[in-house]
Amino acid sequence: MQLRRIIPWIMLAVLLVLPPVLPRYYLYLLASIFVIALLATSLNFILGFGGLLQLHHAVFFGVGAYTFSILLLKTPLPFVVAVVAGPVAAAFTALLIGWFCVRSRGLYFGMLTLALGQLVWAVIFRWSALTGGDDGLHGIPVPEVFNSLKTAYYVTLTVLTVCLAVLYLILKSPFGLTLMATRDNPVRSESVGINIRRHRLAAFVIAGFFAGIAGVLFVLVEKSVSPSLLSWSKSAEIMIMCLLGGLTTFYGPALGAGIIVFLSMKVGTYTEYWLLVLGIILLVLVLVLPQGILGFLAEKYSGRGGDKGGWGKDASG
Amino acid sequence: MLQVKQVAKAFSGFQAIAKADLTVPKGQVVAVIGPNGAGKSTLFNLITGHLRPDKGHILFKGEEIGGLSAHDICRKGVARSFQLINIFPRLNTFENVQVAVLARYRKTNKLFTPARKLVVEETNDVLHKLGLIPYRERLCNSLSYGDQKVLELAIALGSQPEILLLDEPTAGMSPEETRTIVKLIKNLAQNEGLTILLTEHDMDLVFDVAERLMVLHQGQTIAEGSPEEVRRDKAVQNAYLGETG
Amino acid sequence: MDAGALGSQLVLGLSRGMLYFIVAAGLTLVFGVLRIINFAHGSFYMLGAFLSFTVTEMMGKQNPNGFWLALVVAPLVVAAFSIMIERGLLRFVYGQEHLIQMLLTYSLVLIFGDLVKMVWGTEFKSVSVPGIFIGNLSLAGIIIPVYYVFMLVVGPLVALGLWLFLTQTVTGKICRATATDRQMVDVLGINSTRVFGTVFALGGWLAGLGGALMAPMVNIGMGMDTSMVVYAFLVVVVGGLGNIWGTLISALILGVAEALGVLFLPNLAIVVPYVVIGILLIIRPSGLLKSVW
Repeated sequence: MQLRRIIPWIMLAVLLVLPPVLPRYYLYLLASIFVIALLATSLNFILGFGGLLQLHHAVFFGVGAYTFSILLLKTPLPFVVAVVAGPVAAAFTALLIGWFCVRSRGLYFGMLTLALGQLVWAVIFRWSALTGGDDGLHGIPVPEVFNSLKTAYYVTLTVLTVCLAVLYLILKSPFGLTLMATRDNPVRSESVGINIRRHRLAAFVIAGFFAGIAGVLFVLVEKSVSPSLLSWSKSAEIMIMCLLGGLTTFYGPALGAGIIVFLSMKVGTYTEYWLLVLGIILLVLVLVLPQGILGFLAEKYSGRGGDKGGWGKDASG
Repeated sequence: MLQVKQVAKAFSGFQAIAKADLTVPKGQVVAVIGPNGAGKSTLFNLITGHLRPDKGHILFKGEEIGGLSAHDICRKGVARSFQLINIFPRLNTFENVQVAVLARYRKTNKLFTPARKLVVEETNDVLHKLGLIPYRERLCNSLSYGDQKVLELAIALGSQPEILLLDEPTAGMSPEETRTIVKLIKNLAQNEGLTILLTEHDMDLVFDVAERLMVLHQGQTIAEGSPEEVRRDKAVQNAYLGETG
Repeated sequence: MDAGALGSQLVLGLSRGMLYFIVAAGLTLVFGVLRIINFAHGSFYMLGAFLSFTVTEMMGKQNPNGFWLALVVAPLVVAAFSIMIERGLLRFVYGQEHLIQMLLTYSLVLIFGDLVKMVWGTEFKSVSVPGIFIGNLSLAGIIIPVYYVFMLVVGPLVALGLWLFLTQTVTGKICRATATDRQMVDVLGINSTRVFGTVFALGGWLAGLGGALMAPMVNIGMGMDTSMVVYAFLVVVVGGLGNIWGTLISALILGVAEALGVLFLPNLAIVVPYVVIGILLIIRPSGLLKSVW
């Protein structure tokens, strides 16, 4: 299927030439979408391809964003250090949380991610002196170039593209293949000599790292952070994006992110009941199209659509 | 090569294995036989680290492996196939075997080399040996039952083990598919010099391929020796062969 | 700090723990039998609180019977909703992956959240308690509001009722068997899905009861659904998924931890329960008591 290979490149080309003709509002909207698309793709790396029930992925997003903001706001450290520190802190958080979670499987894994994630959320929510508590932090002093929406747009687009490429490479690497094997059949993976706990932990940390990058990008666009970044409902929202686009597809989550972010901003201007709309979308999705948009298209147009058997039935093993 | 000494395992009160002993000499084909529920699969799970023995020793090349994790035991050179089909359903045939080969060469942590360029020769080698080359690119949950069973074997071989454990390799197969498997097993033993431990229901097959037998009855080893010795053994005749004639 | 304050805080914690138990018991019961993580459980709880407000409002603010009527009516209405959801939606995803089931219940969280907003508005509501619950009880220097004492009575009653249901009724026995060994139940020819509706309704009833009981103690408003459901989950996980007695123990531990946190570390009070949970999970990753799963 040649077309499928070209579509991402066409998308990228269109996005690169768009800014001069786009109103400011749409530049901002698209930049926001790029950020969340990276976040959703990083989640799907472990959720869809790793079969790990990560229920609180927003935590790493938030840790990345807060680390970056606090370093810029409260220390004289140079910008570059803060940029690097964000994803590293997120990855480190993922290492800590993952270390406990990978000992259990299936639903238990999920409940642990939720419990430990809430712990991080509570700390950030309460530690007002450092994090600004409920109000969050505003006016993060990012370098002036980022005050231009166009710069923010191109930077987020570039980072998104690079990160997606890296994640794609990883999925096609032995590491990625092994990750999918542990998703498909944990027991068999062990008996061919794969240390599945370690492998899952490594994947968890990688996903956390990329979520942290998304967190830094978020601050570059918004210049503020608040505890809602790592709220549980944020995590659920990202999961919905992954499901909407297709859990077994690589570009699905990015597509899902685009649709949900766009709708939330559009519907939000007509009604205060956006969550009701989102709930109904999700309900219909679960009942009618659990394989997601791209999963459905893949089934229809290619042989490898046999993925229909679905996501984590084996993953709970 | 492999020795099981006085091993016991209980599940919440039920004594699945009471006292099992087994010796597998290098280069031989050894079969564990016994009626349903005798504990054969449990014994296999103990040897391959999916279960932890309560008592006793499991020695591989003189080294204790009882209680080690499954992946460590595999890395030492013990590979197995499963009674029920146990493959990676959403990977293709090539990838199914490739995963095992990658693990064997400790290459599963490589992050940025495309997998399709690695251990291709070794993987194709295994596929070729088992006649799976035509299905290389097929998603393996679309293979026939018999081919999946062969793939099951191929994954185990992908680990390039020194000893291969086969749990009911012909369960549910047609006579023709069974003949293919028997040929494969004999070939592996004779031409590759692989040590093989298997369980099997089909007595004709057992006496055809095995050089040594161990009889498990209600979790206890009641006889061990050459097929002839086992055939003559009184306890075995009473406990097991008597039933099947 | 004197012993009296410590004692009062301990009793407060226990009574708060009882409430967590009532809500979390429903969650763990549904999980044990249906193997579904029901995120909408918090919405049921919120619904219970809002219904309780409406009932007391209709009876007249000062009418003491309003509270009692609400305590009966609100959980029943929520249970009726639960049955409709189980029959109308959930049963279509039995046998699907966990993630799909979970997201289905999450869609209900979103829908219920906005529906409640439509019906009751965004202003905080409050429910007043009958006269006999007003005031404090004082015993050996321990001072505690009468309503908390009432909770300390209701909690064990609910636990006793659940115990009787699970051990003395046929449905209850099927529930226990399904939770412990689903395959065995299938082999015996008992159709385990038959009890799903009942269990889900019972779970909803417990959440509604929790909401109605909580109503006089808090500002009833948006957001009480997710904060409670996350808390209830933690209680359930720490107790051992599906194990009702583990849930009771962990609910009490968390209630007390929360109360003592308020006393000793007022600034970090909301962090304390999570730290306790973290420690418990590190010590016993699979929960305090044996998980049924």
